[in-house]
Amino acid sequence: MEPVPALYTIRVGGVLGETVLLAFPQLAAQQSGADTVLTGRLDRSALYGVLGQVEALGLDLLEVRQARPGPLRDGGPGLA
Amino acid sequence: MTIISAPAGSGKSSLLRAWADRAGGGRRLAVVQVRRGQQDAQDFWLAVLGAVRQATGAGEAEPPAATPDFHERAVADRVLAELAGADDEITLVIDDLHELGAAGGASELTRLLTSLPPRAHVVLATRHDPQLRLHQLRLAGELAELRAADLRFTEGETRELLEAAGIELSAAGAELLHQRTEGWAAGLRLATLSLAGHPDPERFVARFSGSDRTVAEYLLAEMLDRQPDEVQQLLLRTCLLDRVNGELADLLTGRPGSERILLELEDANAFVVSVDAERTWFRYHHLFADLLRLELRHRLPEEVPELHRRAAAWFTEHGQVVEAVRHTQAAGDWAGAARLLADHAFSLMLDGQAQTMQGLLQAFPPGADHPELALVRAIVDLMAGRLEPAGAHLAVAQAYAETEPPERQRRLRVAIAALNLSLARRRGHLAGVLDQVQFLASPVRGESDEDIALGSDLRAVALLNLGTVEAWTLGRPEAERHLCEGAALARQIGRPYLEVSCLAQRGFASKIHSFATTAHRCREAIALAARHGWDAEPVAAPALVTLAGVLTWTGQFDEAAGWLQRAATALQADSGPDIRLLLDITAGIFQAGRGRHFDALGEFTRAEQRGAQLEGWHALASQSAGFLLATQARLGMTAEARAQLAGLDAGRASSGEVRDALAVILLAEGDAGGALAALGEVLDGTAPVIGYVTLVEAHLLAGLAHRELGHQQAAEQAAERALELAEADRLILPFGMTGARELLEAIPPHRTAHAGLLADILSVLRGSPPAGGPAGPPLAELSPGELRVLRFLPTNLSRPEIASELSVSVNTVSTHVRSIYAKLQVGDRSAAVDRARELQLLAGRL
Repeated sequence: MEPVPALYTIRVGGVLGETVLLAFPQLAAQQSGADTVLTGRLDRSALYGVLGQVEALGLDLLEVRQARPGPLRDGGPGLA
Repeated sequence: MTIISAPAGSGKSSLLRAWADRAGGGRRLAVVQVRRGQQDAQDFWLAVLGAVRQATGAGEAEPPAATPDFHERAVADRVLAELAGADDEITLVIDDLHELGAAGGASELTRLLTSLPPRAHVVLATRHDPQLRLHQLRLAGELAELRAADLRFTEGETRELLEAAGIELSAAGAELLHQRTEGWAAGLRLATLSLAGHPDPERFVARFSGSDRTVAEYLLAEMLDRQPDEVQQLLLRTCLLDRVNGELADLLTGRPGSERILLELEDANAFVVSVDAERTWFRYHHLFADLLRLELRHRLPEEVPELHRRAAAWFTEHGQVVEAVRHTQAAGDWAGAARLLADHAFSLMLDGQAQTMQGLLQAFPPGADHPELALVRAIVDLMAGRLEPAGAHLAVAQAYAETEPPERQRRLRVAIAALNLSLARRRGHLAGVLDQVQFLASPVRGESDEDIALGSDLRAVALLNLGTVEAWTLGRPEAERHLCEGAALARQIGRPYLEVSCLAQRGFASKIHSFATTAHRCREAIALAARHGWDAEPVAAPALVTLAGVLTWTGQFDEAAGWLQRAATALQADSGPDIRLLLDITAGIFQAGRGRHFDALGEFTRAEQRGAQLEGWHALASQSAGFLLATQARLGMTAEARAQLAGLDAGRASSGEVRDALAVILLAEGDAGGALAALGEVLDGTAPVIGYVTLVEAHLLAGLAHRELGHQQAAEQAAERALELAEADRLILPFGMTGARELLEAIPPHRTAHAGLLADILSVLRGSPPAGGPAGPPLAELSPGELRVLRFLPTNLSRPEIASELSVSVNTVSTHVRSIYAKLQVGDRSAAVDRARELQLLAGRL
């Protein structure tokens, strides 16, 4: 289990209009071809809440991904 | 079993309705629609039970009601029993199963599905595969599955749908529509609603298929825009409700005529369905309602809280407090919701809705503290027997009430007073209850109807607690009168749950009468509870346990076992030490009566621990201690029994029950003279006793002591005196528990005035394994065959002679003898005889 929120991208089929996007206030929406990609920081229960909304609204769920944080690239302090 | 598993709007519910309309012909239907966001398993199971009962014609008059102490497994069992009892084929339909989600219920539902009676069928409709272990059914070929692909409209069906709706569309247009919606039922339905009467259907379809908006969003907006304004307003402003009627819709839209619109929408098959036969209440399809709610927030965001508030006001006015609280919460008015819930918490408690309150409590945002809710938390904890947290919450509630204006303070005080009473009673705090019920002496007064109603509620609760505590701590005859008054008042003010509470306690309180009366009262209380669906719940427990106890005292062990089991099941939702203590003692005497002293020891030990959790002295305290000591002594644990005895307070130590136990200890120690001395104060009436059963026991123990001392005639007289006392109730248990079988068998039938009872007692004692002696039980109980052989071992008959006596082969006798030696852990015939004598296994007739 992820105790801390992680960054998720959720791809659903079709373009979500303003109305349906009201169901996902915590996510940013971006059109990607014929699909919509919803992105946001969610913990597990929030993620399942979002998936529940996708199901309730009869949307076409195409993909759910967690963007894993990579190793620090900018070089943290204290590196000799 | 059939499962229809497909996404929202696939046409599951429509399919079920169409199928139900066509079904019939000796097939009964029980339909359950799982409520949106179903929060607790209780509502779900009660709905299932109610639907099944209605289908079988069993429960039309009395729908099962909620209780604060619901037990899922018990209700599931009742559903199974109702299904099994149906005369015809019966089909249970559960629609929108996915809504059950987090409420649980999955394990009991799985059990239900895998143990369905042969003529029962189940159809489940759900948006996603349920977490039920269905693979067994699948493997057994007993599961039919319909999935999204099966429900999808074909191109041909799309054309038929359009035709049926009177829509003229070219073949290419129909194909386009089918492609764009992918045969999705809700999409096609929304499209036909927009297309009906559309001036240019071809253009509509072309524009739709050219849009890359999601099907549902596009079509809902189109459909809505094509409706007259009044319909649009109605749909948008009422979609927040789980169900709506004309009056409520008029209130939310601010104009009349809503009922007509709702009826028309249903007739147009426009995602609106009536939920009652009279067509006064309606609900929207879930998908449709979800889309409408978003549309509402999009178009009229500022109105949402106000709509919830207005709905809440309507529900409050119509006495539907739970709905009112939900809408007040949804309006974001947490303080208002807390106040509303607190104001009605007492009433909800009296109607058995503690579980629902628990659900409402959980909906409040964490962290935000509303002092009003302390009262609600106190109720929820109290009903589950969690007395410590209940007390803490109640203290907070009390402090809060002081800060409120007088009128509200009065209302809160009534609730707090009732809870304090119940808490004191459940803690066994006699003085606390007696102090608090002094107001009963004055009649109900009040300025308003509400005051008077509150006064009556409080009065009924007070009578319940007073009567209960009187029975529990004092064994007073007033107990029964108070409980009867409480029950009558509860009935008069329409509080059936409270009535059942009073009558179930009355079962316990009536023990001062004959056992027959007690059993009768208990059965009455259980029957009333059953009519409301509460007979397997803690509210019925006092009657269930008391009935099991009476049956145990009168030696009807088989029936007692059934009631004991039901009581234990009912009490899984109540951990309160008071009622559990009664259950433990009853289970203990039941085990002891069957000669299972080790099991009895466990029960009596638990009973003593629970008693220690109670604040005051309770009527069963000396009995519970006496049983524990005597059982220890019977198991040869005389040192433990002595230590326990030394720890008792003077009050208990001088009670008849504990004196009896001391006699058992002394007998086990071989001091028959001491035992007789210990019994003196019981037999001459100086030692206080809980009831005459203690005297019966004392006479039997005296008989055993006389027998040890070789005073055959005194022994016989003592036994005769015990029989005389036991005659009226046909009491049997003490004869078994004290191990008086040999004493009784020594009485020639012509020398007793109670030959009938004597015969009954002996037949019960012989029918069950007799009491084990101080040497401890055999490794395993001897089988009836072994017992028959065993009883020939003291004779000088050889094995072939025993075989011929018993009409079995010599081999059989030899097998039994080897087995007897093993179980008694002895090496030869004379040792077996000695050991069997110790264990009192030889007393039966040959």
